[in-house]
Amino acid sequence: MLSLRVALRFIARSRFQSLLIVFGIAVGIAVQVFVGSLITSLQASLLDSTVGNSPHVILEPAEKGGTFAYTEAIRSLVEDTPSVTAAAPQIVVPVLATKGGATASLIVKAGEFAGLDGIYKLSKRTVQGEARPGPEGLLIGKDFANTYAVAAGDMLPLALADGTLVDARVSGIFDLGVQAVNEGTAFVDPGLLATRLGLAPNEVNVVETQIDDVFLSSTVAEAWRTALPQLEVGDWQERNAELLIALQSQGTSSVMIQVFVVIAVMLGIASTLAISAVQKTRQIGILKALGMSDSSTGLVFLYQAGILGFAGTLLGLGLAAGLIALFSSLAAGPDSGLFPIDLQPSFVAFSAGVGISIALLSAVIPYRSTARLDPIEVIQGG
Amino acid sequence: MADVIVGQGLTKVYGTTQKTYALKGVDLNVQKKEFLSIIGQSGSGKSTLLNLLGLLDRPTEGSLELVGTDVGSLSKKERAAFRNEHLGFVFQFHHLLPEFSVRENLLMPGWIGGQRTSTSATRARAGEMLELLDLGDVKDKRSNDLSGGQKQRVAIGRSLMNGPDIVLADEPTGNLDTMNTEQVYSLFRKVHEERGTTFVIVTHDRSIAEQTDRIVEVRDGVIQQDVRNEHLASPGSHPRAS
Ligand SMILES: Nc1ncnc2c1ncn2[C@@H]1O[C@H](COP(=O)(O)OP(=O)(O)OP(=O)(O)O)[C@@H](O)[C@H]1O
Ligand SMILES: [Mg+2]
Repeated sequence: MLSLRVALRFIARSRFQSLLIVFGIAVGIAVQVFVGSLITSLQASLLDSTVGNSPHVILEPAEKGGTFAYTEAIRSLVEDTPSVTAAAPQIVVPVLATKGGATASLIVKAGEFAGLDGIYKLSKRTVQGEARPGPEGLLIGKDFANTYAVAAGDMLPLALADGTLVDARVSGIFDLGVQAVNEGTAFVDPGLLATRLGLAPNEVNVVETQIDDVFLSSTVAEAWRTALPQLEVGDWQERNAELLIALQSQGTSSVMIQVFVVIAVMLGIASTLAISAVQKTRQIGILKALGMSDSSTGLVFLYQAGILGFAGTLLGLGLAAGLIALFSSLAAGPDSGLFPIDLQPSFVAFSAGVGISIALLSAVIPYRSTARLDPIEVIQGG
Repeated sequence: MADVIVGQGLTKVYGTTQKTYALKGVDLNVQKKEFLSIIGQSGSGKSTLLNLLGLLDRPTEGSLELVGTDVGSLSKKERAAFRNEHLGFVFQFHHLLPEFSVRENLLMPGWIGGQRTSTSATRARAGEMLELLDLGDVKDKRSNDLSGGQKQRVAIGRSLMNGPDIVLADEPTGNLDTMNTEQVYSLFRKVHEERGTTFVIVTHDRSIAEQTDRIVEVRDGVIQQDVRNEHLASPGSHPRAS
């Protein structure tokens, strides 16, 4: 344990250098953890706002504009798929809404509330009135309501494609966070349109579903395609290829930033440690002359690096936690436009491993030059 | 009496293209408890010889036996352990460890030898040594904060801590004034008397050599003269086996 004792003494007696190394590692690890967590959380938040309130896999009739029967067989296939968290069979029709002489086109989605709520989280996103439309009710978006000055409780007659007029009352106004939806989509109970459109009880023109891991959508879609050849199966990943590429390149650049930060820190530590080893050449030579073995003297620098690496990593993780807490408190504020950052324990453990490893790796050169040093060089040199 | 140093044909060549013959086949036997000096002009090969005897360097040719061990056959690691156990060094530039206190510098050879922490025995030994070297007042000071004479006394104390068979000193008083020089040699003498340690001291100062029991003169890498020093005029000296 003499190597450890000497290492500790060297650290204590070169306080400035030791602090430099500790802070170097700390800053590197803090940046690495912060950037990593930031990008991960940003992606999660982006993904959530993009697909959190929209369908992931949808079933449609093979023929555009047609309908199909949502049979018991299809229902159990969909609902028994383990990753499916919500399914909403619907009739979606375009209508014209009339308000004070003006007409506006709306896409009306008629389906059971439970299913629609599962996908669009209507109960959480209603800003006025009731979330449940009820037999005669209609849910409209906040932008539509603003444009046409409609409030909950107002009557809003709807004209179907064949000219049939349907009386409907606005029961609630939602904000799904997407302008196109807030402007042009409405939700109604299936009973409101079924008889007027002359539909059979299980006749639908789309079934929307959500699954727990959004990236499983292709697998699920593929399975359904095979089981239901008569239907068209859509997958959000196909429709959002650009977003996926953006997320992917963002992830790659995040990894690159982390790698470069870590390399820069490692070069800094390695050079500082190498300088420190050169400065201690005389001491190492003396210790060897007194009988300390090559490996024990080499160990001095490995211990030194290990201790500094550990301290720097701890400090860096603390720093990162502080930064993230600061960021999160800003994000929690009203209208911050920021998203919360999660500190993943596995990522923290990974970064801690990286911090200590780069410190130990940086000690390889000092270790080798120290082990190789011949005491006679020091003794002769005076 | 047994020979603690048996060197035969010790040769040291430096360099491969431009060869320097620093030692040219030196035979040197030293008995246990001898107190001898090696003298010679600068560049004659004194330090080279001492470094070979101290296992800090390997001879290009020749054999060496120390306290009954053929040290030529030892591995690098075994040589380090041998130095720690059997040899004590005093260098011209004291070579203390500036990061450690005086007391810790004294304990260092023991630590290197594998003593975990200061046992009561080693602590007592360090205490005695501090007393002997008159360093009690500065024992907790860092070695950098000492005077030249104090530093050299610490180095002497360190060379003795593991109870070596042989103490090798290369110009130990080269940087000291007359008074400190006197002090160092009377210390050497005292330890020699009390413990029966063998001393080999390199010096270029004839007046110091005169005070030792045997003078080996090196010139151009060979031993030119090897004389028993018979006139023991100084009062501190003592009868010896020769
Ligand atoms: N590492 C080395 N490489 C090449 N030549 C060396 C080396 N060390 C010593 N020499 C040469 O070997 C010879 C003997 O050197 P050494 O150091 O033993 O002399 P010395 O008697 O101790 O001299 P001084 O009194 O100046 O200390 C000298 O010619 C010196 O130049
Ligand atoms: Mg010399």
